[in-house]
Formats: sequence, structure tokens, C-alpha cells
Amino acid sequence: MTQFLQTLFDGVTVGCLYALIALGYTMVYGILKFINFAHSDVFALGVWLSITIASWLGIGATGQPTPAWYMGLLVLMGAMVICGLVGFTIERVAYKPLRKAPRLNVLITAIGVSLLLQNLGQQKFTFGPYPKSFPTLMESSSLFSVSGVQVRLSDVAVIGTAVVLMAALQYLIYHTKLGSAMRAVSFNTRNASLMGINVDRVISFTFIVGTMLAAAAGFLYGLKYEGQAKQTADSMWVMLGLKAFVAAVVGGIGNVRGAVLGGLLIGLIEFFGVAYLSSQYRDAYVFAILILVLLLKPEGVLGKATVEKV
Amino acid sequence: MNRLIDHTRQLSPPRWTVLPRAVWPLLAGVVVALIAYYLVGPNISGFSSKLMLIAGTNIILAVSLTVVNGFTGQFSMGHAGFMAVGGYISATITYYGSIKLLGTAEFAGGALSWTGSGAHAGPFIGKGDLIFVASCIMGGLGSAAAGYIVGLPSLRLRGDYLAIVTLGFGEIVRVLLQGTPDQVQPWKASQAVDTPWYELLIKLGGPKGFNLLPTYTTLFWVYLFVVLTLIVCYRLKTSSSGRAFLSIREDEVAAQAMGVDVTKYKVRAFVIASFFAGLAGGLYAMDIGAINAGDLGFQKSFDFIIMVVLGGMGSISGATLAAIILTLLPEVLRDLPPVWPAGLVLLGIMAVVQAVRKHWHVKSLVGVGIGTIVLEGARQFCLSQGINIADFRLILYALLLIVMMIARPQGLFGIREVWELFGRKKKAVGSGQ
Amino acid sequence: MSVSSEFILDVRGIAIAFGGLKAVQDFSLRIPRHGLYGLIGPNGAGKTTCFNLLTGVYQPDSGEVTLDGERLNGRKPHQIAAAGLSRTFQNIRLFGELSVLDNVKLGCHLRGRHAIAGTLLRTAYYTGQERAIESRSMELLEMFGLAARAGEQSKNLPYGDQRRLEIARALATEPKVLLLDEPAAGMNPQEKLELRALIRKVRDQFGLAILLIEHDMGVVMNLCEHITVLNFGQTIATGSPEKVQNDPKVVEAYLGTE
Repeated sequence: MTQFLQTLFDGVTVGCLYALIALGYTMVYGILKFINFAHSDVFALGVWLSITIASWLGIGATGQPTPAWYMGLLVLMGAMVICGLVGFTIERVAYKPLRKAPRLNVLITAIGVSLLLQNLGQQKFTFGPYPKSFPTLMESSSLFSVSGVQVRLSDVAVIGTAVVLMAALQYLIYHTKLGSAMRAVSFNTRNASLMGINVDRVISFTFIVGTMLAAAAGFLYGLKYEGQAKQTADSMWVMLGLKAFVAAVVGGIGNVRGAVLGGLLIGLIEFFGVAYLSSQYRDAYVFAILILVLLLKPEGVLGKATVEKV
Repeated sequence: MNRLIDHTRQLSPPRWTVLPRAVWPLLAGVVVALIAYYLVGPNISGFSSKLMLIAGTNIILAVSLTVVNGFTGQFSMGHAGFMAVGGYISATITYYGSIKLLGTAEFAGGALSWTGSGAHAGPFIGKGDLIFVASCIMGGLGSAAAGYIVGLPSLRLRGDYLAIVTLGFGEIVRVLLQGTPDQVQPWKASQAVDTPWYELLIKLGGPKGFNLLPTYTTLFWVYLFVVLTLIVCYRLKTSSSGRAFLSIREDEVAAQAMGVDVTKYKVRAFVIASFFAGLAGGLYAMDIGAINAGDLGFQKSFDFIIMVVLGGMGSISGATLAAIILTLLPEVLRDLPPVWPAGLVLLGIMAVVQAVRKHWHVKSLVGVGIGTIVLEGARQFCLSQGINIADFRLILYALLLIVMMIARPQGLFGIREVWELFGRKKKAVGSGQ
Repeated sequence: MSVSSEFILDVRGIAIAFGGLKAVQDFSLRIPRHGLYGLIGPNGAGKTTCFNLLTGVYQPDSGEVTLDGERLNGRKPHQIAAAGLSRTFQNIRLFGELSVLDNVKLGCHLRGRHAIAGTLLRTAYYTGQERAIESRSMELLEMFGLAARAGEQSKNLPYGDQRRLEIARALATEPKVLLLDEPAAGMNPQEKLELRALIRKVRDQFGLAILLIEHDMGVVMNLCEHITVLNFGQTIATGSPEKVQNDPKVVEAYLGTE
């Protein structure tokens, strides 16, 4: 029972991270109809920016006291803003010239951007090729426990922040003027522009929001796995991003609620697979689910029945 | 107007002319392979011939990927996965096959597979060679079967979804292979002789990789298969099936309306491409003497995608050139020879070609000239600052990919072959009438 | 069987709806062998949708299509092409990067055999077939006055030539019925005149039935023996050109009520 609850809890926590990243995939897909392959690298960028900003602020080094709570928020904001700028630049420089190109060309460009980010990140003048560990931003002792499941403060922070961000996104899309512009562009780009919507601006904005969410996911990832050393040149970053992409597809790509649902689903499947089947095939479960979903219900779980594209 | 089928019988060439047409590719392959092995190999350094081996396998992989990504306009991102399937199958057959049939996992090849120093004492073609070649072909067939399985259901999917499914397939293959138990070590070969087949076949080394394989892959075998791959793919491209492939890429709806069974041809392209990827996997494994699924993840697939994209989506010679260039580039960048002589030679060739065709294209000449100057300047700068460009090569590739898609989306050669760019328009009126 | 021997194409009450929109309702049409029929109607009347239903791009919700006694419902587009129904497209769909000749050769594809072994080994049958395809394609190109441009990329052809190339490509599939979707669109008066002669020639020489969608009344009224008029997915008139021209419903559909 304890193992079940623990797995459930872990699955939901990581599922929230997947959901945040999946939102970026799904929003871009909803509007531009292409897989932004570089999105997973933006997520990795979020992780590394968090580490770097934290060390600039002089927090998180071993032996230092746990910093004040707002310092963490500062790191999060910094990472989100910088990632948002990077997302904006990527869209303007690499994707905008290809608005009318075949979709495969855009996909290839996205792969190029992904490779560029990966390899730039490893350079000495950026994050360097050596492993770094995530700073401790919060008390790592467990907050409370429910029937044997240890709930840490950082886990609560991860889920809490993710929920707040998703709620904010929901509000943005359905209750603001910009949000309805986004939905309009997603529904029909040409008509939207005829109605006087500045499509380029909406697209840029979508990219910024998407990459900021990915950056937040990166920060939260660091929060969850604090103290663990990771390398920049590790395919696990792309892997995490890919799983998030799978989440977006499983939930129904282009569908915001689908991305959240898919994220949680993928998180749970992964953790239950690892706990009850075998940890060796961790990545295989996710992709097996992807292939199953694509074959049985290619439009995803939430599918077209509720076309709430963004 | 007569029906096509009636014409066909009238126009069929006499039977005796058919055999040479069917066989010459094999002969050409053998001749090229012998030249590579006996004339080129011994006269270049060991390191250079190693590079030549890698370039050869890369050519096979890039050209075969061209069939899927170039001809039919689909997008596979799992080519390394097919390579892994084939590589592991042929490694298994070669390694355990040698143990079961010959009682040892040691090299048992003839002169054509000899990679050691000094003259080879054994037979021209050894028992091990037969196992090796059979294993490579089995690897290709196994990979083709995998291609069929992946291809058939997923071909209902649109381009980018297919890309993700193939990527997922590659990752599943990797994870499954990494989950296999340790291999039987060569020094335990004598005990393994009595172990049943089915127990041996799953012992593929897991995360440590499948190591200590006998190395059979020489310039002979690689270039034999390179030539065969090139001829097969070229014959495909210039055949009625090739037209069907290209029609799918151009306009799927129109292709269907013309009676092209789109699904059949997509699967066909997938199967052919994965066959050669599997074959190349076998060559790769028995070249290095080891194969590790961890090295054959989607990042490896990207290497081949870059080659296909740069060469031109659909150009066999373009993919070949790109494979060679991208294999050699890291080495070239490491030493960084002067750029200007190559630039001058290129300018000269272009000038001569343009003069012969009486069609001057000043812009291209100026472009090459300026490019040479800029590159040479950059080189001088790097030398003076002590910067090693080889460290930045992956960044260069990535930038190249992006710039290419924006500036020249069809790649260097598009669907045309290198020789179609120079002079003579594609012959208009048929020859065989 | 008596019906199918007299009429090559027999369409009985096909219909399709997209969401709430009934794009085509209860569409019926019987075309005799060697018939030259027309399908007209204002923009958005459902003409091209009819073609898409006949050629398997869409599956009809109800109704039945029979070609020379063969039921076409549920078949894929390439199977329908094999059964002998070929078409051109309103918004030209040539294989742009391929040469003019290769476009027609692709039309011939359907009637050949393309085993992979034969292709790779260049067997006698394969070679003979390639030659047959080539000579047949060149014949077609000559008939359509495109032989001189055989080697050019089809996307570089002038508009009128592209339209004619599409017809040549469709004919290469050896159809029993040819569907032409606005063959005269974008042509000048002289070209339209030539096209009329060409379509008649095609019908007579190949002995097939033709159904064409056309906006140009000059072309339709001169060419077609029988005309069906669609409006909002419904057949509002059918009959000889004279009859249709004087039908008040048709006049209303085109000009609106006064």
C-alpha cells in the first residue's frame, strides 16, 4: 500500500513537470502545426539557468544555510524571463522565415535548433561540459507523511507551482483578449489575420509563454532533484522533453487540457511501470504508450471531440 | 491506342541481354571493392583506412535513409534503431554462430577479411567470412522485417507523427537491447557450444554492449556493399517504382488518383531503407568489434538525417557526398589545412564548366571567391587565437542545418544527382525505341 | 446487367455531410459508354465534392456508385483508378518537381507490374514495360502538343499546358470514364476552342465516357450532350443543354430571384 501511494505521489509530481513542458509543445503545435523539437532543450536550458542564477546569487552551495523562500522565486523568475527571450529569438530567427515552407522543413530546422542549443550549452563559455548539482533551495526534510509516504516541501512546491502556472495559463487563454487571439490564430490563421489579429505577435507570444513554462519546469525539476549532479551533454534532457512531447500527443496535441492530462498519465505510467514491472524499460513504456495511442486514437485521449486548440 | 500490356511484350529485349544487366552491379561492386582493399588500403595510413571504413558505412546509411526521407518524403528518425536491429542480429549470428559452428569466437576469415598486420596465410575466403556475410544479410533482413512492422501501421500517420513514432521505435529498440543479459565471454566458448541456440541468442551484453566480436569488416566488404547499395538505390530511383515514390512525395492525393498504392510504396520504401540500415549495422559492428545500443539512440539517427538533408532530399549522389564530407570534416577541421587552394581549384573548375557551356554565372563565381576569402580569414583568426574549430563542429552542423532550411530547403542537390547539374538537360525523348 | 452494359457509370443517390453541412444530397447520374456529360452549378454547389465521392477521396454516407458493373463503394482511390475511373483536379495537382514525361509515365504506372526484383535486376519484362511506358507516354504528349517540353519540370509549364498535361496523365491510366474538373479554367478563348476539339477527340479516339465540371457555359453547352445542375448539394435540373438552359430553377440559381 505504501509503495502504491508513494508511486502515485511520485508519478503525479513528475507528471506535473511533464505537463508543464507538454503545454509548450501543444501550444506551438496548435498554432504553427509543427513539433518544436527544440522545446526539450529549452527545458534543459531552464534547468541550467536555474543552477547558474542560483550560484550568482550565492545560494545553494554546500554548507550554506537554506536561503529565504523568495530567493527561490527570484531564481524561477530569472530563468523564466531569460528562457522566454531565448524562445522569442528562436522563433523570430529560425522559424519565422519558414512560415510558408513545408512542415518537414520546419521540423528539420527545429532539430537544427535543438542541436545548436545542446552543443552551445556544453561550451566552456556557457555552462561547461562538467556535471553540476542542483542547489538546495528548500528544506529537504520531509514535511509530513501520509500512511508511510514521505511528502517533502519541495514536492509540494513542485505541484503547487505547476498548478498555479496551469491555472494562470487557463485564465490567459480563456479569459483574456490575447488568449482569444491565440485561439483564433490556432483555429484559422488566415482568417485571424483578416480579422485584424497580428498573427506574428500572437505566435511570438505563444512561444514566449511556452518556453517560460518549460523554464519553470526546469526550475522545478532542479528543486525536486536537488543535490544530484547532472551533465549538460546528456541525452536524458532530450529524453525528458520527448516524454513531455509524448504526453502532449497522448492527451491530444493542440489541446491544452489534454497536455495536462497527458502529462499526469505519462508520469503515472512511467512510475508505475518502474515500480511494478521493471526499471530497466523505463523509457520503453512511454514510447509504447505513444505508439499504442497513435495507432488506436491518433487524435489523442481528449481528441477532437473537445477541440480546444490554442 | 494499344494497351500498355500489349506494348510490353513487343518491346521486351531479347532474353540473352538480360543476364549482363542483372549481374554487372555485382561485378562492379567486386571490382571497386578489390581496388579499395588491395590498391587503396595498403597505400594509406591505418587511420585513413579506418575513416574510409566509417565513411563507407555512413554512405550506406545515408543513401538508404534517402529512400524514405528523400524519395517518398516521409520522415524517419529511427534509422539508427534499424541499424541497431541489424547490427545486433549480425553480431549475434557471427559471434554465437562462430562458437556453435567453429567452436571459437575468434576470427576465422580469409584474405579478404584480414585486418591484421603482415601477409595473410589462410585461404582466400574462410569459413568465418561466410558466416559474416550471411550474418550481415540476415541482419538486413531482420531489420527489414522490423521496418515492415513499424511501417505498416504507422504509415497512416502524417509526416511529423511518423517521425515521432520512428523515433519512439528506435528508443524502444535501444532500451530493450540494453536490457539483455551479459554475453558469453569468448574464453567460455567451449562451454557455450552445448548451450542451446535460444539461450544464447538473447545474451547480447545489455548496457555493456556486445563486445569482443571478431572483426571481419574490411574495405573490401564495405565498398562491395556501398556499390551495391548505390546501384540498387539508383535503379530504384530511375524505375517505375522510383517514380511512384517521388509521386507520393510530390502530391499524395494525385498519386492515389493515378492508381499508385500509396501505402504499399511507403512500406516498400521503409523495408528497403531498413534492410540497408541493418546491413550497415552488421558492417559497423564487425568493423569496431563491438556494438552498443547506447551509441545508437536517436542522436545517431540525427547524424544520418543531417547527411540526407544536406545532400538534398532525394539525391543519392548528394547523400553520398554529404556522408563522406561529414565523416571527414571533424578530421579536416582538426588540422585545418589552408582553404584558398581548394577555393582556387573550385573557381577554376567552375570557370571551365561555365566557359564550356558558354553560360557565365558571375554571381556564383564571386560567391565562391568571397566564401574562400572569408573562410581563409576565419582560419587565420582561429590559428592566431589558438581556437580549435573541431570543438565547434556540432554547432556548425546545427547552424548549417538551420541556414540550409531557410536559404536552400531542397539541400545541395535537391532530388537531382550531381551529374544532372552540369550541362545537358535531362534527356527528353526516350532511348529504347 | 442490362443497365451496366448500356451505362458505364451508374451513380445512385450518393450523399455526404460534413458536420451539419449536407454537401451533396441524393446525387444520381447515369452516363452511357462514350457519353460526354456535364456537371454545372454555382460556386460551392458541391460539384468537386461529387468528384471526390466518385473517386474515393471521400466515402459517401449513402448511395451507390457502379462502374461498368463493378461496385466502387468502400474502395480506396487507387483501386477506383484501377477500376477505370480517372480524374483531373480543379487546382492542378501535377508532380511539380518531376518532368512532364514522368508525370504521364506515372499515369501509366497503374497498368504495369512493378515487382521489386524485376526493377532491381532490370529483367526483360521490366525493360520492355519501361519502353512501352515511354513510347505510350510520348504518344500521349504528342497528342496534347506537349512532346517538345517532355523534359521540363512540370511546375514550369504555362497554365494551359499544365491543364492539358493533367488530362494526358489521367488518360495514361487507361480509364473507362474520365472526370475533368474545370479543364478550361484559366484558359484564353483560343485555348478554350482548342480544348473543346481536344476533348471530343479524346472521347472518340479512346472510346471513353467523359464527365466534366465547367464554369464556362460556351464550353459546356457546346460540348456536353447532357447536363446536370447542382445547387447547394442538390440536383436542381438535368437533361439536354437546351432544356437545362431554359429551366427556371437553373436561371434562378445562377442569377438569383428578382
